[in-house]
Amino acid sequence: MPDTKEKETPIEQMIVSAARLITDGSVLMVGTQWPIIVSLLAKSLHAPGVTICYEGGVILAKVPDRIPLFTADPVINSSSALLGNSFDTLGMILHGGRADMALLSAASVDRYGNINTTCIGDYRSPKIRFGGSGGACDFGSLAPKTVIILEHDRRRFPEQVDFITTPGYLKGKDVRMRAGLRPDTGPYAVVTSLGLFHFDEQGEMVLRAHNPDVSIKEVKDGVQWDLKIHRDVRPLDPPSKKELRVLREQVDPDGMYLRDARRFDEKEVAV
Amino acid sequence: MAQEKLLSMSDAIERYVHDGDTLYLGGFIHHDPFAAAHEIIRQRKKNLTLSKCAGLLSVDQMIGAGLIKHLITAFTWNPLPTTAHCFVRALTKEVPHRMEIEEYSILALNLAYFAGALNLPYVATKTLLGSGFDWEQTDSGVKNRLRFEKSPFTGERVCLIPPIKHDVGIIQAQRSDPYGNAQAWGMLGEVQYALQSCEKVIICAEEIVDTDVVMRDPNRTLVPTFRVSAVVEEPWGSHPGPMAGYYDMDWPYNAYYEKETRTEELFENFMKKWVFGTRDRKDYLNLVGEERLKALRPERYEPDPVSYGKLTRHLGVPYA
Repeated sequence: MPDTKEKETPIEQMIVSAARLITDGSVLMVGTQWPIIVSLLAKSLHAPGVTICYEGGVILAKVPDRIPLFTADPVINSSSALLGNSFDTLGMILHGGRADMALLSAASVDRYGNINTTCIGDYRSPKIRFGGSGGACDFGSLAPKTVIILEHDRRRFPEQVDFITTPGYLKGKDVRMRAGLRPDTGPYAVVTSLGLFHFDEQGEMVLRAHNPDVSIKEVKDGVQWDLKIHRDVRPLDPPSKKELRVLREQVDPDGMYLRDARRFDEKEVAV
Repeated sequence: MAQEKLLSMSDAIERYVHDGDTLYLGGFIHHDPFAAAHEIIRQRKKNLTLSKCAGLLSVDQMIGAGLIKHLITAFTWNPLPTTAHCFVRALTKEVPHRMEIEEYSILALNLAYFAGALNLPYVATKTLLGSGFDWEQTDSGVKNRLRFEKSPFTGERVCLIPPIKHDVGIIQAQRSDPYGNAQAWGMLGEVQYALQSCEKVIICAEEIVDTDVVMRDPNRTLVPTFRVSAVVEEPWGSHPGPMAGYYDMDWPYNAYYEKETRTEELFENFMKKWVFGTRDRKDYLNLVGEERLKALRPERYEPDPVSYGKLTRHLGVPYA
């Protein structure tokens, strides 16, 4: 069992900061990876009444008995209020305008909140290839508020992504609207292991708060463009004892996400 | 009287999957017809267009084995999460050969299958707009069959998605009667619409049951029997994927697969062991081992019985 007295890691700060953005009673579209643990932390703390929806046609009934390793983890078979088709969640809830917020992970994010999970380099002959959209493009296209959660690494923050898998504000809010996306949709926040970002009137990412142990300069150096800083930028509140305890002992006691145990990195996998 | 359609896996694949076919590989993570994919690889079917909304290891193996000329997908990945190496080698290095890719988001691909099932000319949606798939708005290099128009009703910009249809579709279901009344439960993703967009359907089932079992719970039936060409009894047919009520996902297998397929040579050895070195699913399951299979069995978690209500006579009671 992890020690609650130990100081929070940057990843734990990221998870807690993102969870605090979730309002009780809201309807969430939850993507795979960080969104899973973030949404379950919120549901275990201040937002027990959130509705958690997954892209394959899942609405959870409770915090599952083991933390899902992805949004299709078979633990959903005994934790759901509804198991159906992708049309149930991505279709009639998200496209139908019934979702309040979408949570997404990303390989990279740019100045206007556009997300790339497709490729590095030219699409026709990519240097590096990722898995592709999944439901991410649907989340970013249709959700009123998209929250993007990812580990901070300068390479993940280019000025312009090589491929827009999931539209943010494209080249600005007006461009997003001209593309036909509804005006009350788009990125709301980016939460990383360095800080919390929101978007200004033009749809550009702005540093709103930084991790207590990180300077503003470090965050500025962590992206590949001249990052805007909010005039009231402040340090984030570190996780409370309760937040940290629930996260470590209740939500992810095996460290599947917190210590990356689901990758079986340290063990030889014998099959 | 309906006809029994029971076949062995090798006969079903030989008879109904042909070189050059457009193949829907069913299952949204769950219900993945892994055993069928292995048999297709063993029979070395060629030049396939493979359509798979959520591509995991089965898709990666079919690509690595050189069967796929065109891939239709919303994502293809190892859920660890990590790279699906064959998928990436095909797109970045054209190994083992060049593969065309036709990508959608999950909702968009569901809509394309839906249009295929209903034989619609297209469906209109608000997703994909402004993304790299929106070739009109971005210079992403994507070429696809999507069109972008103004809605004749509201004037707003919409994405028009043409139908996707398949020559043959395959799914692993929990149970089926011998006639192809197949039943599946759990998370179904795109399955219901995608199967109906297939000319022929092959049902692989964990268990073969009497028609009476189907009749007592008809809400769970996937496709009507007249749409089904073959039924294959294939327990554990989705391993290493999961099957609700039957087995958990073999998660460490994802890690094992990732390590064992990092190079082309490693991948070949992997396939020699797990696919070409096995004649059928029984051989494969022997490799997995009884102890491991036992560990994957979940506790039972059952619904309370429901009653559909049996009626035999019309109500003979007049209103006074």
